[in-house]
Amino acid sequence: MKSLPRHLLWFAATAVAVGLLITVAGLVPVAASKGHWAPVKRFLHFTMQRSVRTQARGIAEAPELDQPALIRRGAGTYAHNCALCHGAPDTDRASFARLMIPPAPELPPKISDWQTHELFWIVRHGIKYTAMPAWAASQRSDEVWAVVAFLRQMPGMSEQRYESLAYGNANPDGGAASTGLSACMHCHGIDGGGRRGTAPRLAGQKQAYLRASLREYADGRRPSGIMQPIAAALSERRIDQLAVHFSRLPPPPAVATESDREAAARGAQIARNGIAQRDVAPCDACHAPADGTAHPRYPWLNGQDADYLVEQLRLFRNRVRAQTPAAALMAAAARGLTAAESRDVSLYYQSAQTAPTDRAARADDSGHRPASGGHAN
Amino acid sequence: MNTYAASALQAAGTDASMVADLFWIMLWGAVLIWILTMALALYAVCRQPPRSSRRRWSMLLIAGGGVVVPTVVLGALLAQGLGTLTAMQRDADTLQIAVTGERFWWRVHYQPGGEDEVALANEIRLPVGRPAEILLNSPEVIHSFWIPALAGKTDMLPGRQTRLVLLPTRRGRFQGLCAEYCGSAHAQMAFTVDVVSEAAFSRWLNHQRAAARRQSAERHARGAALFVAHGCPACHTVRGTGARGVIGPDLTHVGSRPTLGAASLPMTQDSMQRWIRHPDAVKPGVLMPAFGMLTPDELAELSAYLLSLR
Repeated sequence: MKSLPRHLLWFAATAVAVGLLITVAGLVPVAASKGHWAPVKRFLHFTMQRSVRTQARGIAEAPELDQPALIRRGAGTYAHNCALCHGAPDTDRASFARLMIPPAPELPPKISDWQTHELFWIVRHGIKYTAMPAWAASQRSDEVWAVVAFLRQMPGMSEQRYESLAYGNANPDGGAASTGLSACMHCHGIDGGGRRGTAPRLAGQKQAYLRASLREYADGRRPSGIMQPIAAALSERRIDQLAVHFSRLPPPPAVATESDREAAARGAQIARNGIAQRDVAPCDACHAPADGTAHPRYPWLNGQDADYLVEQLRLFRNRVRAQTPAAALMAAAARGLTAAESRDVSLYYQSAQTAPTDRAARADDSGHRPASGGHAN
Repeated sequence: MNTYAASALQAAGTDASMVADLFWIMLWGAVLIWILTMALALYAVCRQPPRSSRRRWSMLLIAGGGVVVPTVVLGALLAQGLGTLTAMQRDADTLQIAVTGERFWWRVHYQPGGEDEVALANEIRLPVGRPAEILLNSPEVIHSFWIPALAGKTDMLPGRQTRLVLLPTRRGRFQGLCAEYCGSAHAQMAFTVDVVSEAAFSRWLNHQRAAARRQSAERHARGAALFVAHGCPACHTVRGTGARGVIGPDLTHVGSRPTLGAASLPMTQDSMQRWIRHPDAVKPGVLMPAFGMLTPDELAELSAYLLSLR
């Protein structure tokens, strides 16, 4: 009766000891050149599939995934961050991706294996023991959804459609690449106009703000899985050049649609007067029209894309974007805004016409920084 | 100016002295009753039991000591208390002040609703010998307005206006505070009350009503520019300039106030800089965001400008 458990104990101890011995002796094969034994490979893949299907349960909230701007944003991100290993409608995956264990799958034909929320889970969390990394900013599910919106469109997509989604009319690899601008232009457009909501408009934006944003993206204080890898690869000098370049582009004309007139009028009230009883500060106090008194670190909002502004206001309200003193100011100012009011005020700024005056733009350009420029961090 | 502790026993107002009187009557009455009861108990323990009990005398003692005396004492206290209550509700058509409990400071309006309404913060001045009616409001949570030396506490309830009438009888500087837990900085939600002569009061009120002095902005041009550039006018008003925000305290004469941050700091250069740089460290949960992006030089200039607004 008593001897059986004791035998088991000995057996377990011996198994552990032998396992340790094999490990210490360096006999465990880790060479990628050999790969896994076929049954093991199948089992590991099965494990991954089961895990993703189970873990992805309960992801219910998805934005409208058919929005063209969202698909374009996802396409641009895919082209920069994913296509190298996973291939795209216009290119095969890089040869090294085939040599990884497990190899990164050529994605276009594989997308249909997964449901939308499972794609979201994979892009957001990545997969352990493969080369698939997690999303660089886990708080930014809006960015992950953009990638998913594109992934769903990818199967069967033509080369031309893919390139127009991902690059617009910028050249995918030639020309601009030599100036280091191609990464920006694919989403923000050659004219810095943001390609109809694919990305925020940068043309005519203040230099100090562009510079601070790139630095904050690079070190993660402004969380973004799209911008972080791009900004982190830029040198200080390159950041300066880009800030100068985009600030000097002429701001595109404001966009106002007839149907949004009323909302924009409500938004104008908030922008001018705030909502005192809910501690919402008037936006214009800092984002004022170009009279030259506003801080160079506070961005122009006139003509900015409304969807971008709505999303940023949401990030401020949820304190996702609140790590720098300037962002913390916005988090405090936007705290009392409802989602509907955010929309109104965003539509107002999108339709607001005033462009920065030459005087203010020049003062910003000339390197002369008013009182507190450059101390945004 | 004499400064007094936040004590209801150092009364300097008619209502506070009624509260103080009530307290002393209760205290001495309770002491007297306690001594009497103890004496009787000792007497009962020590004395030899009488051979023939005088039944009539005993009944008288029980009825008298158990029913009549408590009824008379409690009745007298009730009468005195009710008298105090009516006195506290006495109407006064004189000085009217509206006080709103914010998170976590006091928004003060003199002559509320009138044409020459004056907005102040965390500071109340009263003329000695003149009754003042204080209208109390709170937009968010329950606070309680209490100047221990001048009057009893009165709750400030969201959705309802409460009133308090007080009559200060002694000049000096008194402490006021929030007497109902209202959030993380409840303990730092205080204010000062200066009771001054009628003449000094009207001089002061006229000065507060006036716009900020122009010289301030001229002599402290850089500080004034920083104030605008960083967006301070979004929340703060400086009358006479473009700053018209109403979310935070009115700063038109902020430099003349004895304290900063609802009496959490004395009004000095040092504390002004500390406050702007990191208000949350002084007062946890405060709504004002930190302006940590300002350099030491900029902080000094901005603070000098604000302190010049006297």
